[in-house]
Amino acid sequence: MKPEAAHCLQDTTFVNELRLNARQWLAVFALVAVALWALPRLWAKLERWEINSDFRIPYAMSKDYWFYERYLEHAPAHERVLVLGDSVMWGEYVLPDGALPHFLNATAGASNRFINAGVNGLYPLAMEGLYAHHGAALRGRKILLHCNPLWMSSPQADLQMEQGGEINHTRLLPQCSPRIPAYKADADERLSAVLERNLPFFGWARHLQDACYGQQSILNWTLAPGNAYRNPLAALTLTIRAAPQDDAKRGPHSKRHKPWTATTEPTQLAWVPLKSSLQWAAFQRTVARLQAQHNDVLVLVGPFNEHLMTEENRPVYRQLRDEMVAWLKSENIPCCAPEPLPSELYADASHPLTEGYRLLAAQLFADAAFRTWQK
Amino acid sequence: MLFHTWPFAVFMLVVLPVFFALRNTRLWIPWLLVASYFFYGWWNPFYLLLVLYSTTLDFFLVALMDRCPREGPAVRLAGCLRFEDGVLRVAFLITATAALACGAAAVAGPATLRPTLLALVFILALMALGALLRSRRTWLLISVVNNLLLLLFFKYAHFVAENLNALLGWLHVAARLPEPATLMPWGWTYLLPVGISFFTFQSLSYTIDFYRGFAQRERNFLRFATFVCFFPQLMAGPIERARHLLPQFQKFPAIRLQNFTDGGSLFLVGLFKKLALANYLALYVDPIYENPGAQGAAALLLATVAFGWQIFFDFSGYTDMARGLARMMGFHLILNFNNPYLATSLGDFWRRWHISLSSWFRDYVYIPLGGNQRGSLLTYRNLFIAFLISGIWHGAAWTFVIWGVLHAAGIMITRELERSAFYRDRVPKLLKQAGVFAFVSLTWIFFRAGSLADATLILKRIGSAAWTDPRIPLLMVALVAVVWLYQFIYESRFRAVLQHGAVRVGLAAAMLIYVCLLSSGGKSFIYFQF
Repeated sequence: MKPEAAHCLQDTTFVNELRLNARQWLAVFALVAVALWALPRLWAKLERWEINSDFRIPYAMSKDYWFYERYLEHAPAHERVLVLGDSVMWGEYVLPDGALPHFLNATAGASNRFINAGVNGLYPLAMEGLYAHHGAALRGRKILLHCNPLWMSSPQADLQMEQGGEINHTRLLPQCSPRIPAYKADADERLSAVLERNLPFFGWARHLQDACYGQQSILNWTLAPGNAYRNPLAALTLTIRAAPQDDAKRGPHSKRHKPWTATTEPTQLAWVPLKSSLQWAAFQRTVARLQAQHNDVLVLVGPFNEHLMTEENRPVYRQLRDEMVAWLKSENIPCCAPEPLPSELYADASHPLTEGYRLLAAQLFADAAFRTWQK
Repeated sequence: MLFHTWPFAVFMLVVLPVFFALRNTRLWIPWLLVASYFFYGWWNPFYLLLVLYSTTLDFFLVALMDRCPREGPAVRLAGCLRFEDGVLRVAFLITATAALACGAAAVAGPATLRPTLLALVFILALMALGALLRSRRTWLLISVVNNLLLLLFFKYAHFVAENLNALLGWLHVAARLPEPATLMPWGWTYLLPVGISFFTFQSLSYTIDFYRGFAQRERNFLRFATFVCFFPQLMAGPIERARHLLPQFQKFPAIRLQNFTDGGSLFLVGLFKKLALANYLALYVDPIYENPGAQGAAALLLATVAFGWQIFFDFSGYTDMARGLARMMGFHLILNFNNPYLATSLGDFWRRWHISLSSWFRDYVYIPLGGNQRGSLLTYRNLFIAFLISGIWHGAAWTFVIWGVLHAAGIMITRELERSAFYRDRVPKLLKQAGVFAFVSLTWIFFRAGSLADATLILKRIGSAAWTDPRIPLLMVALVAVVWLYQFIYESRFRAVLQHGAVRVGLAAAMLIYVCLLSSGGKSFIYFQF
């Protein structure tokens, strides 16, 4: 603070002089553009995953849309059926060999005709974004698309409430229109989501986080216990492992794999009328998109756990389900709406247990519409 | 709106092209003002009123100051009432009437408006007195009082009330100061307006400089308002002086390609400092400082050093971006940081750290108090006062007061040391730099700690706790070491290596890719809280 320090206010622009001229800036842009373009592509060429007949997206990579896009591209189109949907198709309570695609394959006598392309935590509004922005490979495919009525079972589930709580897969949601009352995000988050779905580099960066760094940024990973002195580059791996067969949270031996009656009482659900449902509207748009892309789509509606509802609530649900089926038929979309499974084969409102999936596969093959469609 | 977020990128994509398109019209200044107000209002539109109030008052105070003779007249009440200047007469009538009206409204109006109206009565009455006395000094006093009152209320009122109430309780006096939140009109939320310390100081520098004859009066309100709230430096500086920035708004700046290349270079470095370095360091520092009692000595020590770098990267990154953005529009903002951790004395440190603030205190506090012209004792007193105020400026807490006092003490000690030939000539430069860095890091404990109790606990534990594994990531250490090495080489005879074109291109490309791949989100800037 000496008065003689008047030089402080001199018009100095640069300290440390990392100052580039126009030509150098061009060189920087060229280098960065090449890196942003080439790195994801190179990685996609080099990375392998341990694929088997019951492969499904590992739980930890449920939000890795860059990987999902490649997974869809990887699935051979010829005579294969992609099973699309939320955690009901993915198999939340069961092991990969206990999910619906496994039993469909078993019933069909094929090893991997039905491919599990379900995503944990998905719902129609996010599903619409997933297939719109990361579903380029969904063209000219045979698709079994699941419609889970759970998402219309209350205004909260339909994302109509302003105070809706935490939402999954927000990066897939429409960021501007239609407005989703429960989705609260600032402009930065919304713009980031839009950019990420349009620039593969950012999707790839997130893929690295999900696949190699425990679903956290690399910088956060260095701060996790045991990682401080590890080389972050050494954690990079070019192999995606299949979901483990001994998952403690899933399968017949897990604590969660039990009938819903052990934890829940029958309840009254506040079904949202289809004409005002955001999720149903998104589902309709998804079906329209898949059809426009020349996919052969069959929609599986439910089977929802009707045992969980009170007596007076069931007719409301049935009417809703019938309206869904009626709309699908009016649009000439093949569909199946199987009768509910026995109560003890449900883990909750919509997820069957392993035996439930086995029975559902049998029910589907007993359905003439399904048999005809899947040939 | 933060510089490193996407909404700001969209904002600039609108503001810049329109700004250039208006270059041949008189609308470019209004456009900059609209953009600046939008930028500030994005955070909280209500506090735009505060910026507007401060700007308007200082603009008119200087206009009225301009009507008064440079030498103050001998005050005689009878003479005062005969106005020779019509403008001053009108000013007197308006302010006196407004003061009476506000007073009446305060008595008869709703209770929620009473504190605000009474504050207005006070300012308006002072203004009427200024018109009556035709005194430049009175107008200056009003500006100082008004700006300091704004700061006092929004930044320090809670701290002052809390401490005075504790004192009153200790003295067994029943009276209590009200909570500042209860004084807000219409029950509005009591928040610290972002950047208040910056825009009030900037506006204040204009009135003081005009009073001293160092700055010209700005006759265009829109131009002056743009100077006060120019968006690149509105939130956290650099605190510009009227004589430096206002003349740049007189005509549309000459725009060349170099504006963009230089501005882009500054912005990129700032972005890297913020996203790649400051935010990363915060991930290590924050959890340790949130729970100091559970940390070992090594972790506390390293977190303190890491915070020193975090705040440097955070704040200098912000000012780099601010200067880069201004440069793209053809404006020059003053340098705010100059490798402060290479300083060889504390005086040197303050000539390199937050230069626009330290020079503000030098010019408007230290020198008016007498500077170093009246002997050692008074010089030290002046230094002490300047640093004490500087500490308080940073925050309303005893930790900041102690931080200021420590720096005052440190600067006195190094000043004395520099007088000895042995210290000046024999002690190696590197050792001096290390000493300054160690001292500054130690004082950051008070700056960063959540409370005085936390700060003392941290100091105590650094001295007594076990030296357990600090678990500081090697990547973090390596990044800071690389930056320090870069600065060190830049100030050495090997500078030419860093100035080679290929090195610059490589570094810039690496920084951009690093930011895209590893940046850790949109955490706000530390200095926004001041």
